[in-house]
Amino acid sequence: MMVAEFENICLSRGNKNIFSGFSFNINKNEKILIQGKSGIGKTTLFRILLGFQAVDSGKVRFNGLDINRENIRKIRARIFYLSQDIDLRKEIFKEIFEEIFSFNNVEYSDRLEEILCLLDLPHNIFDQNIKDFSGGERQRAGLLICFLLNRPVWLLDEPTSALDDKMKQKVADYILKCENNTAIIISHDEAWKKNDIIKIKRL
Amino acid sequence: MNGAQDLGFLSLASLFVFLIPVVYINKRLKLGINKTLLTSIARMCVQLSFVGLYLEYLFRFNSPLLNSLYLLIMVSIACQSILKSSNLKLRLFFGPVFFSLLIPFVIMLFFFNAVVVRIENLFEAKYLIPVGGMLLGNCLRSIIIGLNNFYTGIRKDENGYLFALSLFNSRIQALKPYFKESFLAAITPIIASMATIGLVSLPGMMTGQILGGSVPLVAIKYQIAIMFAIFYTEFFATILSVLFSLKAGFNDMDVLNRDIFIS
Repeated sequence: MMVAEFENICLSRGNKNIFSGFSFNINKNEKILIQGKSGIGKTTLFRILLGFQAVDSGKVRFNGLDINRENIRKIRARIFYLSQDIDLRKEIFKEIFEEIFSFNNVEYSDRLEEILCLLDLPHNIFDQNIKDFSGGERQRAGLLICFLLNRPVWLLDEPTSALDDKMKQKVADYILKCENNTAIIISHDEAWKKNDIIKIKRL
Repeated sequence: MNGAQDLGFLSLASLFVFLIPVVYINKRLKLGINKTLLTSIARMCVQLSFVGLYLEYLFRFNSPLLNSLYLLIMVSIACQSILKSSNLKLRLFFGPVFFSLLIPFVIMLFFFNAVVVRIENLFEAKYLIPVGGMLLGNCLRSIIIGLNNFYTGIRKDENGYLFALSLFNSRIQALKPYFKESFLAAITPIIASMATIGLVSLPGMMTGQILGGSVPLVAIKYQIAIMFAIFYTEFFATILSVLFSLKAGFNDMDVLNRDIFIS
């Protein structure tokens, strides 16, 4: 079953052509690593799927649904988009965390220990001010939310760039083993390529 | 009421004497503000003279229709001024801001005149126009701060907003922190000013009434009443201006429209 279909899409910004007749399909539970030089439109693909960016022409579907006003809520409910800006204009990580899980009505307590351990995050991370987080802590906090929220599709934009090599590999291995999630990853890290499961798409 | 003592044109003009040292100092210090200063003073004199003239006629005719029309013009000018200072396009935001200002303004103005002051003719120019002007004049600042902080806040933190949008899948939930921040910034000055009023300076309405012959106790009652009215109008007009403008500010997919800003 197809999760996402890009069919002959064209998009330009100003004088720059970002996509001209680009087609690409993503199957359910596939793991895809998107690579390409800076500014080629990797993040734009994520923005198109989430309805943040409209295309000039062509078709984009998610789970068979066209990306439009009627379907966008259903589509976004199935996608987790990892961003570096996870502070939600709050300070203490606990406040952010609780707001996300209570609003989404997701129970996470049975998996919390496992994921904290996987990401090597201490329990007192919840009491800390997110502004004091290092780049690596911020990335791991984002991944913690991603894994516990467990939406079917993950769009991960440079999820491991600030992690040490050991942690990069741990995170990559964990994501690639998640059989019930589709993951589309933008990354320059070699850790992702060590596993045959991942398909590489160059833009 | 006996009314304040009239000012002669010559005595009014005598105030220009102090402009000489001001202009001289500005020039010596090379502040480069003399032209702006003199234009502003000239505009103030001309504008207020015109206001004085047509207020004379408005008060003389005291027609409900004319008075209401005058209020509508005041609201329209206020909207234009708000949008210019908020860096938002007039064409897109005039309607939402006009109604967000008009609704609480009209309710509060008529409540003030009918329930608080208890005048018989609710369209009495002597009450309607000056009180209306005070409410509108004070609302400008809070709506400008509210709208400006709200939209520029989202523009600056677009990735954070989009993350919240994908996470909560609800525009209202994603917008909450930006609304909270901008609303607090808009409404804090009036709350602070209520806390210090009377300690530092005597407010304009009170001063005017005392000069006009009212006893201080009456002037104080009016001042308290007008501060309540200003606060309520600011509070609701600021909330409504953000709420009513959302349709113009965001596209069908809940993403901020980039072309709403003047620059």
